[in-house]
Amino acid sequence: MTEMIKLFVNGEEVEVESGKNLIDALEKVGIEIPHFCYHPALGADGNCRMCLVGIEEGRPPVVPACKTPAKEGMKVLLDADHIKKIQHDVMELEFINHPTDCPICDQAGECKLQDYYMKYEGTESRMRVPQVKKRKVQDFGGGVIHDQERCVACGRCVRFLRQITKTGELGLVNRGDDCRVEFFPGRPINNRYGLNVVDLCPVGALTSADFRFKQRAWFLKRAESICHGCSKGCNIMVDHNKEKYEDDIIYRIRPRHNEQVNGWFMCDAGRMTYKSENDNRLEECTLAGTVRPLTDILADAQSRIEKASKALFLVSPSASLEQLVAVQALAEKTGAAVSAFSDGYIVKDDGDDFLIKDDKAANRTGVDLLSIAKSRTHFDNMAKEADVFINFDNDLSRSLSEEQIGKLFKDTWVLNAATHPGHLGTAMAGKAGASVALRSWSEYHGVVVNCDGIAQKFVGGVMKNIERPDIVEIAAGLGSPATGAAAAWALVQKKIPALAEFGSFLELPAEGVNLTDNEAGK
Amino acid sequence: MAAKVKQLPSRGGTPAEKVYLIEIFKGMGITLRHFLRNLWDNSNLYVRHYPEVQPNIPAHWRGRHRLLTHSDGTPKCVACFMCQTNCPANCIMIKAGERTDGITEKMPVSFTIDLAECIYCGYCVEACPEDAIRMDTGIYAFTSSNREEMKIEMDEMLSLKGGYTEEEYQKGLEDE
Ligand code: SF4
Ligand code: SF4
Ligand code: SF4
Ligand code: SF4
Ligand code: FES
Repeated sequence: MTEMIKLFVNGEEVEVESGKNLIDALEKVGIEIPHFCYHPALGADGNCRMCLVGIEEGRPPVVPACKTPAKEGMKVLLDADHIKKIQHDVMELEFINHPTDCPICDQAGECKLQDYYMKYEGTESRMRVPQVKKRKVQDFGGGVIHDQERCVACGRCVRFLRQITKTGELGLVNRGDDCRVEFFPGRPINNRYGLNVVDLCPVGALTSADFRFKQRAWFLKRAESICHGCSKGCNIMVDHNKEKYEDDIIYRIRPRHNEQVNGWFMCDAGRMTYKSENDNRLEECTLAGTVRPLTDILADAQSRIEKASKALFLVSPSASLEQLVAVQALAEKTGAAVSAFSDGYIVKDDGDDFLIKDDKAANRTGVDLLSIAKSRTHFDNMAKEADVFINFDNDLSRSLSEEQIGKLFKDTWVLNAATHPGHLGTAMAGKAGASVALRSWSEYHGVVVNCDGIAQKFVGGVMKNIERPDIVEIAAGLGSPATGAAAAWALVQKKIPALAEFGSFLELPAEGVNLTDNEAGK
Repeated sequence: MAAKVKQLPSRGGTPAEKVYLIEIFKGMGITLRHFLRNLWDNSNLYVRHYPEVQPNIPAHWRGRHRLLTHSDGTPKCVACFMCQTNCPANCIMIKAGERTDGITEKMPVSFTIDLAECIYCGYCVEACPEDAIRMDTGIYAFTSSNREEMKIEMDEMLSLKGGYTEEEYQKGLEDE
């Protein structure tokens, strides 16, 4: 447990965690100190002066909260007139040359300048001389667009690229009203985490070229999810919206803070995974080449499984724990084999020592916890024996060539349940006995376990116009004892005792459950 | 031409009036009298001879929408979505895109209002920070036998002209 200390804010006693600066310590108890340049991941820089607070009986009497550790008995002043005047005047200074482009600024609605103006300034401009003009719509590389006029010179972007990615593409040049962020000529932002500067920028000076003008921030619905781009499992916010007469689509993915996993950041490739959630999705269920209702397909498959001498179920290493146990339980009941063969999901030497991992599967640890076989030999042997093969959204084309897949399932009846076309290669597309269009991770809820053994819940907020089934539903339709999401979760808890204490999956703590800790402790 | 209005006192209290049949025959007589008179000469009718005679629309009347342009003919709209955000009928549908004419960065690539759903509240006009949308065309009659035709698009709204001079319009806003 962190040690607690007592201090006074505007004369009232509050209890806060020690070892933090005033901004973070007070934020935890719901007291906001306005600030631009400080960010918990980048440390205090002390350049914006927006966070100045008064300290009664202190020397000096006014201090930057970002650089002042919370101390026992401290008397912090936030609502005194001289502090309010400082906040007002710092804001007025920021606005001297600010273009106030809000109507065309993508940051509008989530902009600190806008919020603080309403809270701490709120007066008309006193500027009577022309504003300093600077460059607008500058391509900073890496999908980042810079607007020099909107910049408040907080240096967050510069510090991120120096301290975190250590690539140092950006720098602050000149002073006063000529101060601006620049990159060295010919060396724009070029690293795999560059888009994080867009989230870090407290104003609309750095915006994303990909998201540019697609949506206004206040239209977006948010779903707390987990990135399925690699085994790190970065915590993300899926921002989606269903426009009138259109489908619910995702407009952007942003990182969500989780100190245990990804801190405040995520990689650029992970952000772009939303595109495959929106586009090129399977839409129909087919049986012997014709579109049929799902129930027909499941009835047909079920009778084939019963008659088969051996059935093989292939699961995806990115499937949720619930989906995995649902298929596993079905296999146990019908005497089928289950494999999670997915060697092709591992991209050698792609990972780094920050977030990106070689393994592009979101739940391989979960596969191992449930003791699902995933070796090539096991898969090959079972495939040779099987006369019914059901693929539950494993992208086998990543692991095997088209000929290999074709050869393995030459005489096998194949049901391919998938989110996207091409999981069994294009050659198999026509040959599959049946196919089912599945829900993808942004559309279902579940739990996945990341590479460090941290079980994390995610919520699928996207509601597509086309109703697609989830793997748990399909397994249930084929006779799995896990008849629904709740039953599947109960099975997960039986197989992974460390999760047994949580009622529903939604009760998992926000920071996840470290399964390796729990098991060591038991 | 303003319509003629005549106020009639409310009646129906006397015993003779309460025997309804008498009043019914009186009424039929009046109807017959008007019918014969109007058949001969209809200049004394107490209604507007619409559509031959059009009403006078004041400048603050909220009619059909138009999108305003700068003096060079380019749209004033910057696709900020304030009108769409504030529209209580949720009938404005904008798609935004890059603007390359150097005036600003952003503009609508499509701008649709479904007039079948619009409640003519004027919130869109009030919300616009650029004075890019107005309802001052003076056009109040807009019908169709087809729902799709009730959706008006950007080009059409840009081509519409205001029905009043700027002074009349501004004064109309004040009167309101
Ligand atoms: S940075 Fe904020 S205040 Fe400035 S134009 Fe953008 S939204 Fe408006
Ligand atoms: S671009 Fe944004 S993050 Fe960078 S210094 Fe300017 S305001 Fe700060
Ligand atoms: S590091 Fe992995 S989990 Fe994190 S955002 Fe990138 S792809 Fe997703
Ligand atoms: S007049 Fe009212 S209902 Fe009609 S488009 Fe404008 S805001 Fe929407
Ligand atoms: S946040 Fe403390 S000076 Fe900027």
